[in-house]
Amino acid sequence: MRAFFLSLLAWCLAAPALASQSLPVDTGKVTASLVSSHDSVAPGQSFHVALRTELDDLWHTYWRNPGDSGEPVQINWQLPQGVTAGAINWPLPRTIPTGPIVNYGFEGAPLFPVKFTVDPSVESGSVITIVSEFYYLVCKDVCIPEQGSVSLPIAIGESVEDIGWKTEIDAALAATPKRGDIQGAIQKSGTALEMSFTDLPSGDFSKAYFFPYEQGILGHSEPQLITRGSDGLKLTTTPDYIWDNDVPDMFEGVLTYIEGGQLKGTEVALAVGQSLDIGAAALPKASAGGVTLWTAIIGALIGGLILNLMPCVFPVISIKALSIAKSAHGERSKIKREAWLYTAGVIATFMLLTLFILGLKAGGAEIGWGFQLQSPKVVAALAVLLFVIGLNLLGAFEFGSSLQNTGAELTQKSGAAGSFFTGALAVIVATPCTAPLMAGAVGYALAAPAFVTLVVFLALAIGFALPFLLIAYVPGLLSKLPKPGPWMVRFKEVLAFPMFAAAIWLVWVLSLQAGEDGVLIALSAMLAVGLAVWCFKSKTLISKVIGAAAVLAAIVFPLTVTTSGASSEIISTKVNAESWSPSRVAELQAEGRSIFVDFTAAWCVTCKVNEKLVLNQAETQKLFTETNTAFLIADWTNKDDVIAAELAKYGRAGVPLYLVYSNNSVSPAILPQVLTYDVIKDAIAGE
Amino acid sequence: MTMSKILFSTLAVSALALAAPATAKIATGSNVSDMTVTDSNGVQHNLSDFAGKKVVLEWTNEGCPYVKKHYTTNNMQKTQAMATAEGAVWLSVISSAPGKQGYKSGDEANAWKTDQGAASTAIVLDPDGDMGKAFAAKTTPHMYIIDESQTLVYQGAIDDNRSASPATVEGAKNYVVAAMDDLKAGNAVAVSDTPPYGCSVKYKS
Repeated sequence: MRAFFLSLLAWCLAAPALASQSLPVDTGKVTASLVSSHDSVAPGQSFHVALRTELDDLWHTYWRNPGDSGEPVQINWQLPQGVTAGAINWPLPRTIPTGPIVNYGFEGAPLFPVKFTVDPSVESGSVITIVSEFYYLVCKDVCIPEQGSVSLPIAIGESVEDIGWKTEIDAALAATPKRGDIQGAIQKSGTALEMSFTDLPSGDFSKAYFFPYEQGILGHSEPQLITRGSDGLKLTTTPDYIWDNDVPDMFEGVLTYIEGGQLKGTEVALAVGQSLDIGAAALPKASAGGVTLWTAIIGALIGGLILNLMPCVFPVISIKALSIAKSAHGERSKIKREAWLYTAGVIATFMLLTLFILGLKAGGAEIGWGFQLQSPKVVAALAVLLFVIGLNLLGAFEFGSSLQNTGAELTQKSGAAGSFFTGALAVIVATPCTAPLMAGAVGYALAAPAFVTLVVFLALAIGFALPFLLIAYVPGLLSKLPKPGPWMVRFKEVLAFPMFAAAIWLVWVLSLQAGEDGVLIALSAMLAVGLAVWCFKSKTLISKVIGAAAVLAAIVFPLTVTTSGASSEIISTKVNAESWSPSRVAELQAEGRSIFVDFTAAWCVTCKVNEKLVLNQAETQKLFTETNTAFLIADWTNKDDVIAAELAKYGRAGVPLYLVYSNNSVSPAILPQVLTYDVIKDAIAGE
Repeated sequence: MTMSKILFSTLAVSALALAAPATAKIATGSNVSDMTVTDSNGVQHNLSDFAGKKVVLEWTNEGCPYVKKHYTTNNMQKTQAMATAEGAVWLSVISSAPGKQGYKSGDEANAWKTDQGAASTAIVLDPDGDMGKAFAAKTTPHMYIIDESQTLVYQGAIDDNRSASPATVEGAKNYVVAAMDDLKAGNAVAVSDTPPYGCSVKYKS
């Protein structure tokens, strides 16, 4: 009512012969009028007329889809000959919750602009009258249908803009959602409705909301849960009845977000079907969430440090440490030089591996850390290498100067090349043991731009080399090392056995990757190594030739190993386990079951430890049975793009990854990499 | 008569057993039973008492223009008479909270029923909104049909003209009549789920 008098006053004050605003009409809770962008228009011209509605405080009217209740604003135009009207340019809607009901509508003074076109045949000098018969339901706690009619005469002749109203109408048109570059898809997945969006403009999507044009697509009063990916956005909500019937190919609506502090909306067509790839997820809370560059660097440093304790690395570096201590007692400058050479070897190898990964990624391959071990050739070569190191530790042979550059020279020589290659070797044997602490950092690094990847891996390399640098630079630390003596020979020989054990493990991995043939080839290569060692003991030319041939065979054999067609056998070792696939997850969710997904690989040590100590325990198996939880295994022993993409979704570049979909949530909980029974139990209970 | 109170022995609409929020929609085809409600005369009914009969639920609010549209044109009363003549139980439900539009005491509800010439079986008073939320009733009117085997077979609008104007009743397709006809002919309900329209239900919260 107050709005009405103000409008009337404004109209009276402005009133020339032909105003660009109609006489306002008070319909009760709303004051309505017509406003025009032009005082007069030329024949053939287009212009805008808007229905302007001023609502009393706290009252609202409704958008084209009114939501749970209500009715849209409606306008009928009575037009003279030669004038045509377009459709309403709807303002951005807001969600208006009332108790459990959510409506889509407007408060304040929404403007409904419509484009009009005057035919060239309309005579100059005439006056046309545009009449709007409008209807709206206006609600606060109660609802009142209101209607009225307003008319606006417009002179035909010269084109004269009305600066005031044109500015307001143009602002309303600018705020009207328009079709942008945003791509969208919509998919019913079990009891959930997933809407995915990519090619997003810059803006704040933390409160994004999708307003569908039609009813029946989604529950208007259900929350739309936001998942942000590096390449897009996913909204998860509840489907409505349309999904029970024939579903069209596409649904349209408006995605709203914040840009520059303002609410903004873009019209999006959602293709019905497979969700779009929104890229690596910003990790859900409570996991390694919020990995920043600094935490990634620190995580990588600590992870690198821990790598030194891994069973396959420890023998290599402990012997190196002792050899430094022995060879350089009292000569700190020499120790420093050795430590830096070792560090250089570590860093160079890490950087080479990183550049290699980046190259493959740039080529479009879906790979992650530990990918080297997805190649049976690399696994076979590593097994042979570990066998060679073991033999060397046992003293079966010593590297001659001609073979020094193989880098496996560990104790006898402490030359520059020796230290450098010890570093390289340590890195190579360390790769299977991606320490749990590093997972977040490595995942972050591989999803980040190339420069960040290099920085994080550099931190990892420095962390890995740190013990040697500390020995070299922290006074007194060196003297804490045990005094060298004959016991070192014994110690060295003992350390051969972890090496053989690691070789056996790799041959087992190979058996899963490449079948019997792979095992045969790897063991034959080891036979060649034995032959070579024996031959080089003799000084005759013939034995040297045979020895060289055997070395060549030991190197070439592993390269001939190929992945066997048979899928991995890991699954058969577990009861009731099924193979993972995104569609299987959706099916099980539709059945309302809880799901445990084990992303694993034969070459992943942490995975094996978790399986042994937690997953395969009777207590855990019983928990899965009692809670009717499906156990899905995603086996990444061999290269698999689907699994790599799923890992990337959770910001990971490697295994293990454990996900639990409890039966009352849509998105999974990410479990820590070191599992316990209680952690699994709580996750299944949805806590 | 004292203020009637809705009593829920078990709020066990079976489909709701697992769904977390109380406002979640019941899927058409779900079994709906074992819900005790109290009518304007203080009589308690359990939905399972009506097994073997069709039950029509109508959410209503006297002050709502969309309800008025169907009562001033006699459309709602005619639909009620048609359904009850076929042996169906018709429950008009008022979920308006005290102090909110449409709230009625038992006596007021009875007076309104007489005044309107309504042919409903009873008016259910649901001032706490429990029944309304169990069915996820959003609007007035909002219609539900439960068949003889206590299965929800229709939910949604009364007809396909979503206007508040009484003039639009004529010529609109009445979904409740159509569903009752389908059931009578022994067929499945062809249109079983439509978006309801009208004023929001005036819940307590």
